[in-house]
Amino acid sequence: MTAKTLGALIAATAVLAASLPVEAQGPIRIGASMSLTGTYAKLGNYQHEGYKLCAKQANEKGGLLGRKIEFVVYDDQSMPPTAVRLYEKLITEDKVDAVIGPYSSPVTEASANVTEKYKKVMVTPLAATTSIFKRPPDKRRYYIFMVISPAEVYLEGLVDMAAKRGLKTIAIINEDTLFAKAAASGAAELAKKRGMEVVFQEAYPKGNQDFSAILTKIRAANPEVLAASTYFDDAVAITRQMKELNVNPKMYGLTVGGDLPEFYDLLKQNAEYITGATQWEAALPYPGNQEFNDAYKKEFGREPVYHSAAGYAGCVIYLEAVKRAGSLDSEKVREVLLKLEMKTAFGEFKVDQDGFQTAHRMVTTQWQDGKKVIVWPDELATGKLRFPTPPWNQR
Amino acid sequence: MNVAITPAMVGQVIISGILAGALYAMVALGLALIYGVMRVINIAHGPLLMLGAYTTFFLYSALGLNPYLSIPVTMAVLFLVGIGLQRTLVFRVVDAPELSSLLLTFGVSIALVNLAQLAFTSDLRAVEYLTGSLPLGPFAISKTRLVAFVFAAAVTALAFLFLQRTRLGKAIRATSQHREVAMVCGIDVQRIHMLTFGLATALAAAGGALLAVIVAIQPEMGQIWTFKSFLVLVLGGAGNYPGALLGGMLLGLVEQGASLFLTTQLSEVVAYLLLVVVLLVRPTGLLGGRQT
Repeated sequence: MTAKTLGALIAATAVLAASLPVEAQGPIRIGASMSLTGTYAKLGNYQHEGYKLCAKQANEKGGLLGRKIEFVVYDDQSMPPTAVRLYEKLITEDKVDAVIGPYSSPVTEASANVTEKYKKVMVTPLAATTSIFKRPPDKRRYYIFMVISPAEVYLEGLVDMAAKRGLKTIAIINEDTLFAKAAASGAAELAKKRGMEVVFQEAYPKGNQDFSAILTKIRAANPEVLAASTYFDDAVAITRQMKELNVNPKMYGLTVGGDLPEFYDLLKQNAEYITGATQWEAALPYPGNQEFNDAYKKEFGREPVYHSAAGYAGCVIYLEAVKRAGSLDSEKVREVLLKLEMKTAFGEFKVDQDGFQTAHRMVTTQWQDGKKVIVWPDELATGKLRFPTPPWNQR
Repeated sequence: MNVAITPAMVGQVIISGILAGALYAMVALGLALIYGVMRVINIAHGPLLMLGAYTTFFLYSALGLNPYLSIPVTMAVLFLVGIGLQRTLVFRVVDAPELSSLLLTFGVSIALVNLAQLAFTSDLRAVEYLTGSLPLGPFAISKTRLVAFVFAAAVTALAFLFLQRTRLGKAIRATSQHREVAMVCGIDVQRIHMLTFGLATALAAAGGALLAVIVAIQPEMGQIWTFKSFLVLVLGGAGNYPGALLGGMLLGLVEQGASLFLTTQLSEVVAYLLLVVVLLVRPTGLLGGRQT
């Protein structure tokens, strides 16, 4: 190679390089590790569909910062260590432009260590555990942002409605796992704040099937309200045995499980009057919620669940923050997110200095004649609470 | 935070314990039979109970069959499943070291649970039938659990009668006492093994059918019953059939009592502590098991 040709080559490269910023505006690549198989597969896929719908709609409107959006998604098999490896790969090998959160609190907790290390902003739409965001000063996280309401406020609706009706005593039981425990202790604190007395509180092990002794104690404590921080199997078992042992407080509310259609399918009229708590309902009058429902059904051929809506909203929020920041730069996007107040199809978004969600509302539902009616908070309610619960044989 | 415990509460818990105990006894009797006759520890006992629960569920939801009337059908179906299992797999480990039978039935157990997950999905099912309770003074007696108690007690009694009185029952006991001598006396030991496994599986299935009306049905509902049956077996004395009845009642009462006086979380701890104590003090079980 002569000096002349070498010079020409250098010149050509220089020209090419100069033209790059204009020519190489490829898509903005957003990386995520998703639970597409394994324990969380069902819910992880719902979240993934939320992301996909968000990206599709954004691209139809011309993309972000004039570029198309593309998701780079790997399957973490619902395992936190795998997700850690995948975020590391997304950031260092694939060199994605941005990242977004995985499914569930445990996976988010593990992954956040990686995204913090590389100072990548991560909106985490499906992590409800407070301790992921509220940490001691020396272990603070700066770049993660919560979207859904924390576990501690799941039973707020039940407690609030009970207090407003002048009820004074409450019993609280929970499955002895991270989320259920947080929801139960949150309920106990809220109840005390509202001047109610917690007359009974006990945890039971995961997988417990026989609740007769615990319910016998509750019957003796005779509370006006029973709050149970459950998943699903236990919610069904407790309800059945309450009927068997004729435990009938004036109000009876659940966390997860009580709001699922399967709960009513299994228990039929025995599910009447029972309240459940949820992050989101299709019927909520949030801006764009109706449109989201329609688009989702058209795209995926099934009804969205709250995991779909939260995933969708998390993505919408991130894109909005980038748009307002006019850049993908982590520091700039972080500044915008910390100040952002936004209403999406999933409800309100506003975080404090720890990225902890403060504006999103839980809603409380109640089974009325086989239909799920939103009874709390008042401004979102689609019906009135049926109160108090009649004897079991009159439902 | 704790409530004062009244005699009425203790009574209620004793009732619940006895009602649960009969069910434990019946299911554990199946495990005791297999162990007694074949020296096989059947880890798949619980998952077979789960299949029984699903059979009752499908008979109820597809054919509208009364869940209690379906019990004989469910038992018959699982009797055949048990015979099939024995003929294809379990007979291979009858004379092998106990570890082999543990491994084999552990594998069968995992396979059954996963097949059930594939075939039936892991959605919860329930047979909503006869809910509520009978009030009896200060106590409430769950209807489904009361019926389960009556059925379980009757089935267990029939099984005892069968073992004590009939030629076949005597042959089963003879095989369990000494296989070679039984063989010399003209007993077809292979056939006895098959029938025993079938009968034991039918007992588990009856438990599943009764549970179908009490708890939610899902593929993983069975495993806990394997462990409970072991507990009953060791408490009562392995290979000692009336011991299963005593062990079942004891487990029911201890679990309920611990939940009442301590907490629900500790009830299993107490049950297993009891197991350790029994193993230390009377390693052959409370009624004394067979010496080996």
